[in-house]
Amino acid sequence: MKHVSKNGIMVFAVAVVATAIVAGCANAPLRTEASTSGIRAAEEAGAAKVPQASLHLQLAKEELELAKALAAKGKKDEAASMLLRAEADAELAVVLSHGDAEKSEAMAAVERVRQLRKDNQ
Amino acid sequence: MKTKQLLILVTFVALFAGCATVTPNELISARSAYRLASEGPAEQLAPAELHKAHEALVLAEQSFLKEPDSQKTKDLAYVAQRKSEQAGTLGAMAADKARKDKANVDFQKKQTEIVKQGKQDLSDSEKRTADALAALAALAAVKEEERGLVVTLSGGVLFQSAKATLLSSAEVKLDQVANALLAVSARNLIVEGHTDSRGSESYNQGLSQRRADVVRDYLVKKGYPADRIQSRGKGEGSPIANNASPEGRANNRRVEIIIER
Repeated sequence: MKHVSKNGIMVFAVAVVATAIVAGCANAPLRTEASTSGIRAAEEAGAAKVPQASLHLQLAKEELELAKALAAKGKKDEAASMLLRAEADAELAVVLSHGDAEKSEAMAAVERVRQLRKDNQ
Repeated sequence: MKTKQLLILVTFVALFAGCATVTPNELISARSAYRLASEGPAEQLAPAELHKAHEALVLAEQSFLKEPDSQKTKDLAYVAQRKSEQAGTLGAMAADKARKDKANVDFQKKQTEIVKQGKQDLSDSEKRTADALAALAALAAVKEEERGLVVTLSGGVLFQSAKATLLSSAEVKLDQVANALLAVSARNLIVEGHTDSRGSESYNQGLSQRRADVVRDYLVKKGYPADRIQSRGKGEGSPIANNASPEGRANNRRVEIIIER
């Protein structure tokens, strides 16, 4: 058996570790949790019933699918960037869902006061 | 301050990159969305979200400096636009909430005011009623009955025998009664005419109705609301004394004013 030097073993070990890290990064799964939970939150907030929120919910879903497709093609950076779009649209959909209700409630409260004043002039 | 810093950054970006490259639509939209949000209620009511939008826009501008045409720059600008819209919406929501809270406080205040005024009105009304009753009691017989407060005026004091024309002396008395009643003009009144049993029943019915009408019209003329006062002829059917004696018949010839509850 051929003698292998100590230095040789070290170089080999470093090479194996480096290869493992590079390979690991390249194959790291796409982190879609934030997008999917954002989309779920928007759906639970009733985004589908609010036109503007519904639009952004739809965009978020499409962007998530696009990100997955890019990841499948190995375009990890582009996929991650597309996921940021999906997250941003999902978050906006959540906010818009609540915004509509808040606006309606404010209008109803103002109207209630106006009516009370009118009835008691 | 942040807007100022951002303007400097945008100017810087424009100076160095503007001539050579075209600003992506995403970045133009993001700048516009951020400006819109920062000029709205978000600056006061959603500063944390506006700050996040600012940071996102700064990232996009920095990316634009390094890689003007890259997809990354467009994506970062897109995110900045959405975050700006989010901040703007949250600012508007906070403003709506403030409007709602204020309206609810105003509603409570107005309700308290109405209740207070109602109590005051009730107290005033009770006092007016008590004063009116005291005044009426000094002018005529007043009796509390189930149908209301009954003020009885003698027919002999008001009318000539067998006629429905008011005596001039009766007008003085009716003026006093009207003045007292005007204090309770929110109440419904019924003026009832009654006769004794002399004469035919139909004649007495007609006479009592005419007398009730005359008193009603007089009270209306003195200012009592016409829609709150009715007249009814009761004829000889509701005597309060025996018609066999002259005194009893005199008591039965009467006009009753019923003040309903």
